[in-house]
Amino acid sequence: MPSYMLLLYNDPANWQNMSPEDIQKAIQKFMAWGGKLRTSGIHLASHKLADDAGKVIRGRSQVRVTDGPYSETKEVLGGYYLIKAANYNEAVERSRDCPALEYGGSVEVRQVDPMSEAN
Amino acid sequence: MNDAVLATPDVLVDHLFRNRAGQMVAYLTRLLGPEHIDLAEEVVQEALLKALQNWPYSGIPQNPAGWLFRVARNAALDAIRHRTLAGEKNVEFAAERIRDVEAAVGDGTHIEDQLRDDELRMVLMCCHPALPRDARVALSLKTVGGFSTREIARAFLSDEPTIAQRLVRAKRQIRESAIAFELPLGDDLALRLDSALEVIYLMFNEGYAAQSGEGLVRQDLCGEALRLGRLLAKSSVGTPQAHALVALIAFQAARLPARVDSAGELVLLEDQDRTLWDQKLVALGFHHFSQCAEGAHMSAYHVQAAIAAVYAGAQQSTHIDWPAILSLYDRLMEISPSPVVALNRAVAIAKVEGPQAALAALRPLAEDRSLRNYHLLPAVQGRLLLNLGDHEAAADCFRQALERPCSEPEKRFLQRKLRTCM
Repeated sequence: MPSYMLLLYNDPANWQNMSPEDIQKAIQKFMAWGGKLRTSGIHLASHKLADDAGKVIRGRSQVRVTDGPYSETKEVLGGYYLIKAANYNEAVERSRDCPALEYGGSVEVRQVDPMSEAN
Repeated sequence: MNDAVLATPDVLVDHLFRNRAGQMVAYLTRLLGPEHIDLAEEVVQEALLKALQNWPYSGIPQNPAGWLFRVARNAALDAIRHRTLAGEKNVEFAAERIRDVEAAVGDGTHIEDQLRDDELRMVLMCCHPALPRDARVALSLKTVGGFSTREIARAFLSDEPTIAQRLVRAKRQIRESAIAFELPLGDDLALRLDSALEVIYLMFNEGYAAQSGEGLVRQDLCGEALRLGRLLAKSSVGTPQAHALVALIAFQAARLPARVDSAGELVLLEDQDRTLWDQKLVALGFHHFSQCAEGAHMSAYHVQAAIAAVYAGAQQSTHIDWPAILSLYDRLMEISPSPVVALNRAVAIAKVEGPQAALAALRPLAEDRSLRNYHLLPAVQGRLLLNLGDHEAAADCFRQALERPCSEPEKRFLQRKLRTCM
């Protein structure tokens, strides 16, 4: 079965005014969502990325390292889930109720190229 | 992370974040000093948001509270480093104090005792008599209760900027008056405790007052009042009055589930289905009630708790000992007379001596300016007149009550009563 990368973006500004109670409720929603992936046995990995912008490395003869990439929107890539799914449709269905959406974020779904998984 | 809990979203106990936020703010305020409450609140919020950013990927840690404490503590150290670098004086010593404290949260009862003590000091600081009364309630809810400004505004049917301003002023006052985070002594302690009990009482009443719209947050207010009351009663500075207040709150909170029927209609105490009462809270009420009898001083909380205990102790609503309730109201009128107490006393008079006597007792209240907008006075008069068969006068009373501000369920209740008069 192919693998899919779910990239979770969020806008941290949406979180600034959450109360402790709101934050706990949000976590519980995320845990319920992630829990479903885990119990259905399709969860392969998930990680939060560090809060900094990361590094971009470019250049052929002279390698340059810059901070970034800074996206043009306020959204930041918070972390990712790697799951198994039959096809894009299923991967999208699995993402449809991701709480990131409820909190003003978005999910980008990318298939891992099956050819790269062959070996 | 092997020790994380991955698949069960329910492992976080109810209100964990809210309660721990309060504790962490209290704990850090002790270490940083009361002038830095804002900093304490900031880093605690930061820690909670870090949990929101991390746990969805890594799972909920085995010891969520410990995780939050560690992160908040580190965030505080970071913030202090930044402020010291920026030239701010008198913060570096706070860092020393934080470093000195073992971050061994959850590794024994010691830290939990310390946290309870911090919460207690925080409550007593928020209830300093130098602060305006409404600010004491808001500040207690914010710093000890972990409620947000928005939640406090919703609970008090106020708007966010008003509450925010109230909080800013209160914190400024704490700085300017150099109110300490230490447990006060002697008379000062007694004053502070009185104020804290009053704050808890107000908090509960606000939550208990007829549920309108935001039912849930008001229920949380009752819960927080009960939690703070117990914290105070069980502490080293607990007094019989504190036990009496907790008993009163527990008895009344026990009745909450029976106060509204399945259709959302108001049910009067004597018509309530007693099997719906929360028996755990009733038991808690009697537990604290038995402890409030120590000491010679009989406070208004004692008498009110005693009244609630008579209701709670009756097997059926027909078995309520009304003469006992009436004499308790007589007592309450001596200790803490008020038109509202007089109104409640009249209800007891009606049960013991009949509606005529009760109406006579209510007559002087009609002149009372403070009851001019109080819907319950004409509502009670209406019910008494209805018992006497005077439908016309009763209808007048219910109409009068309906013209005064009251909640939606109360309004529907009064309209039902009005229809029975027709």
